[in-house]
Amino acid sequence: MRSSRASFRYGGGLLAMLCMGCAASSRRSELPAGQAVQTDQSTQTVQARREQVLRGRVLTINHACGGCHGGGANPAAEGYLAGMRSPEQEFLIGPCATKPGATPCFRTRPRNLTPDNATGLGRFSERQIFNSLRYGLRPGETPDVEITSSVPGQGNFPTSPKYLAPPMPWPEWRHMTDQELWDIAVYLKHGVKPVRNKVPDSEGPPDFWVSEYTVEKIGPYPLPAFPTARERLPQ
Amino acid sequence: MNPRLSLLAVLASSASQGPHALAAQDAPGLAGATPVVPPSGPSLLTDPPTIRRTVELTLTAAPTRLSLRPGDITDAYAYNGQVPGPTLELREGDRVVVHFRNALPEPSTIHWHGLHLPFTADGSPFHPVAPGGQHDYVFTVQPGAAGTYWYHPHPHHRTGQQVAKGLYGAIIVRAADDPLPLAEKLLILSDNRFRPDGSFDLRDPHSSHGRSDAENGREGDVLFVSGAIRPTLTIRSGEVQRWRVINASAARIYRLKLQGHTFLHIGNDGGLFERAVETGEIVLGVGERVELLVRGTGAPGARSVLQTLPYDRYIPQTRPPDWNAPRDLLFLQYSTAPAVAPVALPPVLRPVPALDTAQATATRVMVLTQHLINGKAMDMARVDVSTTLGATEIWEVENLVGMDHPFHLHGFQFQVLDRDGVPEPYRSWKDVVNVPKHQTARFIVRYDDHPGKWMFHCHILDHEDHGMMGVLEVRP
Repeated sequence: MRSSRASFRYGGGLLAMLCMGCAASSRRSELPAGQAVQTDQSTQTVQARREQVLRGRVLTINHACGGCHGGGANPAAEGYLAGMRSPEQEFLIGPCATKPGATPCFRTRPRNLTPDNATGLGRFSERQIFNSLRYGLRPGETPDVEITSSVPGQGNFPTSPKYLAPPMPWPEWRHMTDQELWDIAVYLKHGVKPVRNKVPDSEGPPDFWVSEYTVEKIGPYPLPAFPTARERLPQ
Repeated sequence: MNPRLSLLAVLASSASQGPHALAAQDAPGLAGATPVVPPSGPSLLTDPPTIRRTVELTLTAAPTRLSLRPGDITDAYAYNGQVPGPTLELREGDRVVVHFRNALPEPSTIHWHGLHLPFTADGSPFHPVAPGGQHDYVFTVQPGAAGTYWYHPHPHHRTGQQVAKGLYGAIIVRAADDPLPLAEKLLILSDNRFRPDGSFDLRDPHSSHGRSDAENGREGDVLFVSGAIRPTLTIRSGEVQRWRVINASAARIYRLKLQGHTFLHIGNDGGLFERAVETGEIVLGVGERVELLVRGTGAPGARSVLQTLPYDRYIPQTRPPDWNAPRDLLFLQYSTAPAVAPVALPPVLRPVPALDTAQATATRVMVLTQHLINGKAMDMARVDVSTTLGATEIWEVENLVGMDHPFHLHGFQFQVLDRDGVPEPYRSWKDVVNVPKHQTARFIVRYDDHPGKWMFHCHILDHEDHGMMGVLEVRP
């Protein structure tokens, strides 16, 4: 659990991002965006689901979800993934991060990721959680369907997307494979016990961070073909 | 069995005769030409046949130039040239025939918000009336329906625009045995926003302000009470007035407070409670109605103001900067005449029998997020909930986001059971339940009559127009 407030700059085109547990490799999805691996529960065996939960557990730990959402890297810890439980877990986003009292100043409050129906992810589908991780959309603002684009207004991507508040590092983590994102979604929905903890809403600018999450600022999805001009193929 | 509905089947099958007349027709032995001699013994007293009233009127929706604000001319839409439209005053049991003429340059409908009527008369998006077209809405006002309702257009994707331009009006349904024959005032609350040239300020949804409208629902800085801006309403000291208040705004939620007074809250959407409830304030969600008794406790010549106090229904990202300013709605002016003795109120206004939760055969979970219900946007070709006529069901409406969503069910009045597990303190008939941010409301409903496809939706009109709506199919 974080013991002090983390601060981030906002505006001026620079949005500092926290890199928590960056050990996980970012592999390009084997499938184009939108062609998701099916997780049809009716055809899944219990064994396959258990394996998926175990893979999702490792991914959740090594992507440091508990660093912000509670419990750190210990699934046995009190408040594991249950969201903010004290004001110290808030993030300050904006000029106030470095200069107290400066504006704008937005508070991000890590949400409850346990499958509690009223206060956590219980009422969101695995698809909505997948869409949230892949496209950065707030789970309640993503339709429960396969999204066919990552560009606002194209395909069925929302015209006015509402992105997860910084510092949620979805621009990096969206490059996980479809299977990895499904594994995390299944783990959160089925491998964690629900905890009732109502977290106050995060604040943010009226554009829901759209101006901070442009291709120029967060890079393209999917990644450009390897190798780019700055990379090389080992000989 | 819900007694307020028990007569409906009889009335619906009788175009011009009362239930007693029909019962007589059904009695054996009446078909022949020879008068039937009643059996000896004491005879039963029966009322002579009654002729039910038919109310027939024409409502024309048309572009109209009106002065809505002093000094301005606005190109509006109006019913019969008026904003708000004419008030329909009906009686329980009335047969109503409305000839609707659509003189607008776009499809429209008239939805009779809260009335229990046939699917084809509901004026929902399933039955648009083309520009230049007409449609007859024919329905019977059910016994027990006495209350305050309203009407407005309901075309798919265009409701907000058409209501904003002036298409809304009130409906009052009266009971023959109204327990409160008091002086009445009708307060239709609405708000709007204008450009300096007097035209409506309707914004492109893709502009930053338009996005804020799409998010919050469109609010205006000009608040109207039955078409007037901060009007004065008179009362005499000691007098008791019955106020019927309709929230016809697109998105604004009112928190009503009459300075120096408390209200007696006597009714909701579908009419009177069993007993009056004293309260200092009333929160009135979008589309909701309340009936209030205002007691003239002020001295002759005194003055008071009805305000809407700050109510935080917004998510932090788009909360308007002036959201926490109280706003004046109307002034209450006491006449200088000496006080009159207050009237005594009946202890019981009317019975509101409970729908029985033990009869419920299903629980429908509705998860509300911004612009979506159960993760889906409205699809006219999809049925979201399918049920059968006569079923009693519980709806659990969960609001997962940090903004209030007033949830409206067409066609059927319901009873709120609890909110976040806290039982509703008193029983009432409702057709809108405001579900505050991150809260859950449960209600019970019985689909007693009128099969068809019925909408349920967020009554923030911008949300509805963006697809925060679904379809309940009641199969015969």
